[in-house]
Amino acid sequence: MRITTLGSYPKIPYDNGPNVRSAIQRFERKSIGPFELDQVFLRRTRHVLQVAEQNKLDLTSDGLIRWNDMFDGVVRDLDNVSSAGLLRLFDNNFYYRHPLIRGRLSFQGGVVRWWLKEAVASSKVPIKAVLPGPFTFLKLSQDDSYHNSDALLEDLVEVLRLEALSLADVGIAEVQWDEPALAYYPDWNMTKVAATLAQLTAQQPLPQALALYWGNGVGRWLEPLSGVGFSRLYLDAVSDPGVVSTITNNPPACEVGLGLVDARQVKKESVDELARQLQPIVRRLGESNVWLHPSSGLELLPPDHAEAKVRILRDVRDTIRGSSGNGGLG
Amino acid sequence: MAQILKTTSVGSFPKPPALIRARQQFRRGEISAEDLRQAERAATAEVIAMQEALGLDILVHGEMERGDMVAYFAENWTGFAESLPVRSYGNRYYHKPVVTGKVALPAGAGLTVESWRAAQALTEKPVKGMLTGPYTICDWSFNDYYPDRRSLVLDLAHLVHEEAMALALSGAQYIQIDEPAISTRPQELDLAIEAMGIVTRDLPAHTISHICYGDFEAILPGLFDLPVDQLDLEAANGQFQLLELLRRVSWPKHKELALGVVDVHSHRLESVDEVKAGILRALEVVPLEQLYIDPDCGLKTRTWEEASQKLAVMMEAVNALRSEEGLK
Repeated sequence: MRITTLGSYPKIPYDNGPNVRSAIQRFERKSIGPFELDQVFLRRTRHVLQVAEQNKLDLTSDGLIRWNDMFDGVVRDLDNVSSAGLLRLFDNNFYYRHPLIRGRLSFQGGVVRWWLKEAVASSKVPIKAVLPGPFTFLKLSQDDSYHNSDALLEDLVEVLRLEALSLADVGIAEVQWDEPALAYYPDWNMTKVAATLAQLTAQQPLPQALALYWGNGVGRWLEPLSGVGFSRLYLDAVSDPGVVSTITNNPPACEVGLGLVDARQVKKESVDELARQLQPIVRRLGESNVWLHPSSGLELLPPDHAEAKVRILRDVRDTIRGSSGNGGLG
Repeated sequence: MAQILKTTSVGSFPKPPALIRARQQFRRGEISAEDLRQAERAATAEVIAMQEALGLDILVHGEMERGDMVAYFAENWTGFAESLPVRSYGNRYYHKPVVTGKVALPAGAGLTVESWRAAQALTEKPVKGMLTGPYTICDWSFNDYYPDRRSLVLDLAHLVHEEAMALALSGAQYIQIDEPAISTRPQELDLAIEAMGIVTRDLPAHTISHICYGDFEAILPGLFDLPVDQLDLEAANGQFQLLELLRRVSWPKHKELALGVVDVHSHRLESVDEVKAGILRALEVVPLEQLYIDPDCGLKTRTWEEASQKLAVMMEAVNALRSEEGLK
């Protein structure tokens, strides 16, 4: 069994480490300049990568330290869309600037690519890109131009494909598409979603993964989306606990990640209990096909708790590896 | 004739530089708690003076003693522990409380009375008593004690009720109970309404609930059952699209609307004309006598100058409309 993080990570330390929050405040007060601010972003990103290394993650995000929200980097890379007013991000006390589409989308590129290139150069752990999926982008943006959701979706898929293609040679190991909207909202046309996501992942040079979180509709996507070109599905099993039995009973055709570590509550999971829960799945699906990860990005937790959750991933993985050599946990 | 388009503000104001310095000095142990209180009172006086100078009708005290609308109560009630900061947007963070025991008032109600009373003493105009609602306090805290959200929300409702009664008995005519989290889980709207019923039961005051940055479509028209006299909703941040939704659901006869007409999360200063246009659109869906005007949300994220300018634009637009034919 392997372990990974999903996306965002706190931008502030729990000790005296690099602190993006205070750096931005100092920058706004003009007590530091752009170079020093940039260095703090870089040092904080390196901290995230060090945490990944110390805990021997098999794959990590860069913590999205430079992103204001899940759309920010991509919005900067596109023409005719801008970050507009604040809206609540699903059921979190976190607010994103909703993408405001004011003309036909086209791809400019460069920002996400540069950020990831910088992270890859600093990491000993393989890094994945974390990008917003087209359906979440569509659902959470404001369309002042197309007035036709099919046409907008079609262009969104094209520009997001271009974003992913632009990352092909930066040294990342995977592109993870985040689609919380598919888990959160009901009433999707599953056939259309599957066909669109197949189009998104078609002929991409890097492995493609899909992350579904923050809704109780995670499990319903297992069957329709397990054969559309994703090499991994990352599934929030805290918001939709039923997904665990669904996977055990009907293993999908691709690798599966289980988000059993709650990324939105400080309560610490029991390592032994998680290991016991995962063992039958590991036995059924095969050790190399199962991943453990937090239920979503860790930025909704205070930094000390975020780091503690990463340690839980490590301890569960080590427990399972240890127990697989001595007959299991009983 | 009663004033039309009464104006107000939502709650927080930016802390003046002198208070920011005092808070830093207090944290470093360089000044006493009483010194800090004095700085807060001086800042409150500036907040009241600004609103009076601009001609607002119903004032707020500006929440100079609070860092965050949820953490303030958690810091002063029992049953909570403090966490390290968590980001809520942009570069804004808050100490998300952790519920670690049964929530309770440590020494009876009245936490918010002193600051309200001090502000009210500075003006003849009514000053709102400001509280955070039980649903929002629950939703914006980590729960490490209660078996479920319902039991935490209902326990909190009784505490907020005691605070509201203390304000009302002290003379607060308007009491605002903020519930920005109410749209977070539409399936829990009934719980939030039940909790607000506990808060406002037998409360001898005009009650208001401020709600912002949520999915209003998911909770309307059910939100109209929230037992308060006035709903205070943000609109400018979403280019007044809220009004199109309100047009479809039909505004209830028994409820007032306070409409947010300037975006508190943007440095851009709105023009008087665009604010007027927003108010006129609102009058197509809400009767004139039920409409109040205010900013989208608390102004604490703006600079002092920006806050003043945004309120000035709001007042200029309202005054222009008040003097126009057909609105008198």
